[in-house]
Order: sequence, then C-alpha cells, then structure tokens
Amino acid sequence: MFQGAIAPKDIAVRMESVSKTFTRWQRRDNITQKERVSGQEQGPKKENARENVMEGTGASGKERMFSKEKRKRIFRQEKTTVTALDNVSFQIGRGEFVAYAGPNGAGKSTTMKLLSGMLQPTSGDLSVLGMSPEKERIALMKKLGVLFGNRTELWWDHPVIQSFAWKKVVWDIPDEMYKRNLDMVTELLDMGEIRNTFARELSLGQRMRADLAMMLLHSPELILLDEPTLGLDVVAKRQMIEFLKRINREEGVTILVTSHDMDDLEEMARRILMISDGKLAFDGSFDGLRDITGNLTHFTVTTDGRMPELEGCRLLGGKHGVFEFEVDLSGLSMKTLLGMLSRAEGILDVEIRKAPIEQVIAQLYQAWK
Amino acid sequence: MDNEKNKAVGENGAVRNTPLHKGRALRGIRRYFQLLGIYARMDLASLMRDGKFMAIVITADMVSNISSISGIFLLAWKFGGIGGMDKFEVLFMLAYGNIVMGFLNMMGGCNALFPSRIIGRGQWEHMFIMPLSYGVQLTVGIFPFTGSGSFLSGMAMLWVAVRQMETVLPWWWPGALLLQLLISMVIVAASSYLFASLTFYAPVQCEEICSTVVYSMGHAMTFPLSGMPLYIRYPLLTIFPAGLTAWFPTVILLGKANTLEACYPAVFALLLSLCAAYFFRKGFRYYVKKGINRYVSGGHRS
Repeated sequence: MFQGAIAPKDIAVRMESVSKTFTRWQRRDNITQKERVSGQEQGPKKENARENVMEGTGASGKERMFSKEKRKRIFRQEKTTVTALDNVSFQIGRGEFVAYAGPNGAGKSTTMKLLSGMLQPTSGDLSVLGMSPEKERIALMKKLGVLFGNRTELWWDHPVIQSFAWKKVVWDIPDEMYKRNLDMVTELLDMGEIRNTFARELSLGQRMRADLAMMLLHSPELILLDEPTLGLDVVAKRQMIEFLKRINREEGVTILVTSHDMDDLEEMARRILMISDGKLAFDGSFDGLRDITGNLTHFTVTTDGRMPELEGCRLLGGKHGVFEFEVDLSGLSMKTLLGMLSRAEGILDVEIRKAPIEQVIAQLYQAWK
Repeated sequence: MDNEKNKAVGENGAVRNTPLHKGRALRGIRRYFQLLGIYARMDLASLMRDGKFMAIVITADMVSNISSISGIFLLAWKFGGIGGMDKFEVLFMLAYGNIVMGFLNMMGGCNALFPSRIIGRGQWEHMFIMPLSYGVQLTVGIFPFTGSGSFLSGMAMLWVAVRQMETVLPWWWPGALLLQLLISMVIVAASSYLFASLTFYAPVQCEEICSTVVYSMGHAMTFPLSGMPLYIRYPLLTIFPAGLTAWFPTVILLGKANTLEACYPAVFALLLSLCAAYFFRKGFRYYVKKGINRYVSGGHRS
C-alpha cells in the first residue's frame, strides 16, 4: 500500500472503514430457486400445482387468477441490498493529485457523492478537510469544488459570465477573491471569447472549461472531479489536464479525479486508488500498478524484413520489417532480452517502452471479473 | 474551525439555539434577499435581452389567464351572479385566484413550487454542493418580470372588481386581503410539498405530481362553491383544499363569514404546513440514507 503516515493537519480526505449500501426493491419475475427447492420438499401435489401456475395449464381460470404464487409474483417485491462501497479506507494528503479508477459500477461516483455530502455512509467515518460532509456541509462546500463531467452547473439560458455572477452571490465570494480568480481562469482557461456566450451555445469542450472555471471561483482547497475529460477532443483534454496540473502545482489544490482514460490519469496524478466491486483494490503509484501485472514492457524491432525469434516474448504484430513484441520483465531479465536481440540477425533498430497503462488496467479488470 | 462554530452550522446537528446560531439566522435572511436579488437581476437580464419577445410572452400570458377564467365570469354576468355571489364578487374571486397562482408561479419559477421535478430529475442531490441550507435553496429562483403575466392580470381584475362591487370596505380590508392571500399561497405550496415527499420514494413516477396538484388546484379554485351541496363543498375545504385558495377567502373578505369561519384557513394552513414539513423531511432522510438514485426501478432518469 502506498499511503504513508500523514500528519492529521495535512489530511485533506480521510475515509475509515466506509461502507455504503443501497436498498433495491424489485418485482419478482420468477419463482426463485429456493422456492422451487422448498416446493419439492413439500411433496409432489404442491409441486404440480406450482408447475401448473407456471405454465398456465391444468388449473381452472379462477384457480390460476387467485393462486397464491401468482399473487406473490404480481404484488410481492423482493428486497435486496446493493453494496456500493465495502469497508473502504484511505487518506489523501493536502496538495496531492490522486487518480480514482475502477470499472463501471465499482463505486467511484458513490465515493465522490459521499465526499461531497450528497450521500451519507451506511457505516464508517468520513472527513473532508477536517469536516464532516454530513454535519458541516455548508462550511465544507465553501472550501470544496465538485465537478461532474456529465452535468453542468451553468445557467443554460444565460451568458457564462452571468453564471459566474450567480456563483459569487451563492458562495458569498468576496469581491477581491472573485476578481482575482476570474482573471486567473480567464487567462489560463482561455475564457475570453466564451465568457459572454450563452451556456447552451457552447461546445462540450468549452462547456467543460466554463464549468471548471466556475468551480474555481471560490478558491476551493479540494477539488473532486468525476470524469472531467468525458467526451473532450484531444485539444480540450490537453488544455484541461495542463490546467489541473498547474493549479495543483502552483496553488497547492488537492485534486481527486476519476476517469476511464488511464493515460490521462497517469499524466495527471502521481498516485492511483483503484476500486473494484466496492472494495479498495490498489493504492499506490502507476509503476506499482504495472508491477502487479508483471512489469509488462513493449518493444518494437525494425529489421531488414526477417522476423527475429525471441524466446519468452509475445509477438503483437508485424508488417514491413517492423515487429512489436510484449515481454514480462519480471520473468525475463532485461539483460537476457538485450542478449537475444544482439544475437538476432538483420536487426536495424530497437525501441523499448512501458506497456500502456490502459492495457495494464484492462488486465486487472479482467482478473477481477 | 472551532467546535462551537461547527455545531452551529451543522444541518443535522442538535445544537440550534446558540447565540451564534441566531446570528447566523439573521445572516441567512440577508443571504436569502441577496439570492432573490440575483435571480431577479437574471430575470431582468432575460427581459432586457429581447424586450419585444418578452412583451409578447407576458401579454400572451395575461390574455391566456383572463381567457381561462372568462367562462365563469360570463356565466355570472348572464345569470346575475352564481350561488349568492354577484358578478363582480365572482370577478373578485377569480382575480384573487389569479393573484395566488400568479404570485406562486413568479416566486417558484425555478421549480421551487414543483420540488418533485427537482427530485425526479435527479437534480436534488446536486443542490447539496451549494453552501446554502436546503430551505433557502428551495425558496429561491424567481421570475419577477418574465413570470408576472398571471399576477398582473389578477391585479388588473381585482382593481376592476373592487371598483364595481357595492360592498363598502373597511380601512383594514387591504391588510386582511394580504393576509388571506398569504394563507392561500401557503396552502397551495404546502399541498405541493406534501405530495412531493412521495417523489423521494418513487422519483420517476412522481416527477410531475406537484404540477398535477398545483394545476388541479388552479382549475378547481375558479368555481364559486356558494350554494353547492355540502358533500361537494366540504371535501374541497378539507381533503383537496382548492376551496381555500379563492372561494372561501373571498367569502371572508366580503364579510360573509363569522369569526370562527374566518380563522379556519389560517389554522388549516398551519396544520398542512406542519404535515408537509414532517413528511418532506422524512422523505428527504430516506433519500439520503437509502440512495434512491440508481438502484430501484423507479429511480430518477438522469
């Protein structure tokens, strides 16, 4: 585990054995396996009656209509408990830039909602910037910035600057701070052109920039970003990543970001928390994550056309004398690999690089299934 | 932040009556008016952006409102009144109803009057990221300019009706009118919030329950209940209190009710508000604890 000892005053986020369960009610469409088993135990007569109900044959219309099983199936709801987070514990220090990743439905957004006070944990202890999101929501929200990529906080039928003015009043931002931050976001996020544009007229990238700018107007100490690069093109994504890195570096803002784009996360964050099926599965560096899956490395070999025979390496593809291999350097040393390459004939060039983090993560997700 | 301060701002905490909390309550009121101000400025900005278009919208709104109640007034005109009320008393009642609904629509423009829409559309939890208490958030979001058509038409009709009525009005009558208007608005809003509490349990199914309640009340309030049989009148004064939003206040304001009867709308409004507050808070707690958003078949659609 990556997390070291952080002094209490330097902790931005602390989750201790936090669990969150949801209750789900749903109509029972079929008789459960348990009921079938109990039906068999009750003897053949009842079993036959049940089968008749299921198939709609054998019993009279009245019997079918008022049969107990039929009524059960129509009116009875089954209560199940969904565990979105299961005993999750971690700490994030002030000024850290942490990635929060996991497969769909793993519990990322639930964590974000718990941290921002939108939901309350079923059990466990939670503190954000030294405050309880449940009991001190209003004070906390003055120091917290939250952005959900699939949702805008801008006023749709007003120019962006009007939403900023609204935010100033709602967050009670002092004039001086508002002006300073407005100037900063206008410059760094290139907001000059879009400040006076109606929110509904903005492209997705522009809208995200405007949302991010609005989120920063009250100088939040901690930012929670849920998929901020969702749907952005390359340029918009780069602009957002550079900006986030800059405010983390220069302003010391703590950032917790979720995304499915692992390359983006690796570029932004130094630490990654991975969650799977509601449980914290990994907490450490991106290199540490690679080590888990066996230090996968990719290399490209350019030859005069001949394919090199490299034992222990997996050929990923090759065309016109350029071959791509994958090797697990935890099983095969770099020295051995270089030795094999030097002995191979017809080699013109070799390029070695780490396996893309996307591939590492995909392997992990597969392993967790 | 020290502990005392923490306790005072805690929304679910038990400490409420500290001097610090009282100071915060005053600041809360100041903040409330600040927020009303920004929403009013935003609405005015919309109006100024395209004045011609907005003038058409407001005029159309006024014409529509007057048309929707003209049928009742024409009947009263034709037959010299309805159920013991003369034609201008009927007009007064219609104007009163228009003012109630018009003012509520103006103040509850951002769905504050229709909280089931906020909950049903999954916007409820996103309100939590604002550093405002839930109560303040639900009462802001007004359209004093662009949403004023119904209110203005009601005021115009009221002016005509009062000038034409034969009743001599005492000096305190304007105050009584304002009080009755306030009570009627509380009844409509409390009914809306009472039914909105169901949305916490079934967001999709109940998304439009508030509009159904409010608009039904708006339609039912336009008919004078004087002379109607008791089995029609009583339910409309108790179970579905549309009669308390125009007809009964008119009876009181025209001096046709005794003192005990005159107190009834206020008592009813108080009880209904308490009931609505209780059930709304209960639903709210259920929503936050159980997390209705994704895991039920009736979860909201966002």
